[in-house]
Amino acid sequence: MTEPTQTPAAPDERPIVSLRDVRRDYALGAERVHALQGVTLDVERGDYVAIVGPSGCGKSTLLNLIGVIDQPTSGTVEIGGKRVDDMSDWEATSFRLYNIGFVFQRFYLMPILSALENVALPMAEAKVPREERRERAAQLLAYVGLSNRERHRPSELSGGEQQRVAIARALANRPTLVLADEPTGELDAHTGAEIISLFQRLNADGTTIVVVTHDEGLADAARRKIHMRDGKVVDGSA
Amino acid sequence: MLLTLIGALLLLQTQQNQPRTVAIDESFAARANLKVGDRVTVSSRPGADDFAVMTATRTGYTPIAAAPETVLIAAIVRRGADPSEVARGDFLLRMHLDQLQQVSGYGDRVDRFAIATKPSANIGQTVNRINHVAFGFRAYRSRDIAVETSRTFQVVSRFHRAIGVITIVASSVFLLCIMVLKVEERRRDIAALRLMGISRWSVVQSIIIEAALVAVLGSVLGVALGWAASLFVNWHYQALYRTPLAFSMVTPPIVALAVSLSLLLGIGAGILASLRLVRTPPLVLFGR
Repeated sequence: MTEPTQTPAAPDERPIVSLRDVRRDYALGAERVHALQGVTLDVERGDYVAIVGPSGCGKSTLLNLIGVIDQPTSGTVEIGGKRVDDMSDWEATSFRLYNIGFVFQRFYLMPILSALENVALPMAEAKVPREERRERAAQLLAYVGLSNRERHRPSELSGGEQQRVAIARALANRPTLVLADEPTGELDAHTGAEIISLFQRLNADGTTIVVVTHDEGLADAARRKIHMRDGKVVDGSA
Repeated sequence: MLLTLIGALLLLQTQQNQPRTVAIDESFAARANLKVGDRVTVSSRPGADDFAVMTATRTGYTPIAAAPETVLIAAIVRRGADPSEVARGDFLLRMHLDQLQQVSGYGDRVDRFAIATKPSANIGQTVNRINHVAFGFRAYRSRDIAVETSRTFQVVSRFHRAIGVITIVASSVFLLCIMVLKVEERRRDIAALRLMGISRWSVVQSIIIEAALVAVLGSVLGVALGWAASLFVNWHYQALYRTPLAFSMVTPPIVALAVSLSLLLGIGAGILASLRLVRTPPLVLFGR
């Protein structure tokens, strides 16, 4: 089952994620919250990085910036060698579609769609021909061990199965990078371990993964841990 | 063509040799407990017996007393679908013209008469032709007479229109609220879709399609409900007034109007509900 293997590493040796002196401030009433305070970070192609730290330390803000969901107050963010910190909404949306796969804590599968259709959804947006996307969606479901659940709707799947469908969906458009925000947060220990194992396999097959987690097991499974505190990287930065 | 006698009737038990025949309407037969073969005496002098209808005086002339005549009920007929007659409570007696002249005592004087047309007839053209060639009287559609002679029809018609407008406004608000609620329920799903790279337009499109489907399905159910209600209303009032008049109709133009209006409202509601959401940044939708 080697389907989701990413295209072989390009000769480009630049980091796939590169942040330089990134700051992100929020206005909270009259106050200004400094969520990130000058973060500099590189993630190499094929890496598996876990971002850990206490609540409110800026992990999710960092993930949002890497995921081109948010823009920094200052500093630069490059993904795959492309500046993404000043993209318009339309450009950012399109960039995410083709380059980034998201895995959420709460899965966010479309309830009226089957597992196969959920996986095929990003491909439909990317205008992949119907037959091709069905075939690839089926391969991805097989990769995550759900080939017998193609026609099941999310409500008919367990939490672990739903998360595996979400992971398959994140891989649909062969993204450069997979980002996961507390992917085991809604799962029991056993199912969480299955997801951890799946992430390891995914990474071993060439996928670059950045995960934000409080789950020590998931963080320990990563090749590299980045510790954050008070909006700063305190350990593991480039 | 038949003459409608709006005159007085008295029920008697007398018999004659070879009486002339008349036809009465269903409601009259039911009310007076008459059947085919019964004999009755007709007279222009009302009030002499237990059953009388005095509409002749309403037409503006005083009946001249004439000799009563015993007649044989040869048929019981169903009245035509004339809206102007439905709620009056008059009864109908159909008799031969000469017999009517004799009983009423008016000779060949005719106040008004009705022409029944075949369903396929072009009534407007017929009315115009009669008015063009006839001298001394004018032809009117029964529907126009009903409207002119009874303000009730106009009031009812306006009332119906008002109900229609209120229904449309209320259902628009209802549909919009449903769509906003449905979309609001899924704000996190929509945020997730946006994060995955699904464009605003795709999200709006899917919500509009869903809203349109909800609206069309609702309108089809509404039409089905209206059709069933219409059957009940017609059954009830046709039995009550003993008339084939259709009191309620669900016609193809009404169905087309209902479905298309509903579709438009659904699309409008979908656009409003979805635009409200896709303009909100995904992170805000996530509550971050």
